[in-house]
Amino acid sequence: MGITCQEVWRDISDYVDDELDPKQRAALEEHFAECRHCAAVLEGTRNVIRLYRDERVLAPPEGFHDRLLDRLNQRPEERVRPSRRAVLAWALTAAAAVPFGFALFSAKRIILPRLEHQSPSGSPDLPAVSGLVAVSQDGHNKVFHIPSCPYLHGKPKFLSLEEAVREGYKPCPICIGKRQPEKKG
Amino acid sequence: MPVGAATNSVEDSTRNDQIRATEEALISRILEGERDLFLTLIQPYQRTVYATLVSMLRNKEDAEDVAQDVLLKALARLHQFRRESAFGTWLIQIAINEARMRRRKLRHGRMFSLTNGTDDDGVYIPKDFADWREIPSEALERSEIRETLAKALTLLEEHYRLAFILRDVNELSITETANILGITRGAVKTRLRRARLILRDILSPGFQQGGQVALAFKEARNPWE
Repeated sequence: MGITCQEVWRDISDYVDDELDPKQRAALEEHFAECRHCAAVLEGTRNVIRLYRDERVLAPPEGFHDRLLDRLNQRPEERVRPSRRAVLAWALTAAAAVPFGFALFSAKRIILPRLEHQSPSGSPDLPAVSGLVAVSQDGHNKVFHIPSCPYLHGKPKFLSLEEAVREGYKPCPICIGKRQPEKKG
Repeated sequence: MPVGAATNSVEDSTRNDQIRATEEALISRILEGERDLFLTLIQPYQRTVYATLVSMLRNKEDAEDVAQDVLLKALARLHQFRRESAFGTWLIQIAINEARMRRRKLRHGRMFSLTNGTDDDGVYIPKDFADWREIPSEALERSEIRETLAKALTLLEEHYRLAFILRDVNELSITETANILGITRGAVKTRLRRARLILRDILSPGFQQGGQVALAFKEARNPWE
């Protein structure tokens, strides 16, 4: 046997591709005739290539051609569509927003009535929030919030609703929104 | 005759010239307004583009999305096709660029290089010496066999995987593969050697990867049996 199994493994891929010179090729063929292990490796390698070359392997999914045809028939501006991943990301964001919205809704239901009960607002121009409201001491915007609002950033300062309005603060559209004043009696 | 040797034959060269001439005629007619012929032009390359993308993105949905984008871009840019390379090679280059962009988006700007990964120049020692009988073509009718082959491919390191896809799935020549990947012919051969032998081991009937991947054809036998 002229060459070792290791030399065969080194050259076997080039042998399959017919990239060896005639002398190397003959040496490998002589080895394959005598070594069943290397002959098995050769046959397995050829099988791998044969399998992956088959058109059915890694073929586009069913309907691929029809979906492509649909897009080709659209006007160019209609062809741009979000990827499936982008749609999925949007859906997940929307789904994540649901519990957040629910938490906010619960906070408003639980906290606002308590504040309103403590100190009802008498002004028809004020939102139906009563008691203390919170503003950010950072003062980068002039918005007041219910104290539990997640949009209240920075160190909070507590004011009465009337003070907040007098100082030019506007209600947070998220935690207070456009709540109408409660009608009395 | 060795697998792949046929691509060097005169017969194949003539066939490739004929295909190229037909494609160039189709491209001219499409550019003159016969857009319906575009589907005829790309029909032989749908699998090529999809297979390249699914091997790079490793996700079927993303691969289909990007494959369709690639084919539509090819139509939009057909007038830019210089005919210096084969049409199929041009499509694959667009596909690889699109896959890179998609991955960059998914990875928030992390760069992706086709030449990443270290080529192991050492001799790969086969792990299994089971003797395969030729796998019947009907076996590929079974979806689990096709899935097994797709899954085995994902186990390869990326740079080995892509060389294998271009050369052995898309049937490009070693030179074309080297040109697309921007590496030498020698580097392509090194990657192919490793990719083929690793895949052979993964799929080998006698080498079960936890029973998950190997094709495990019952008719296979070990040489010493």
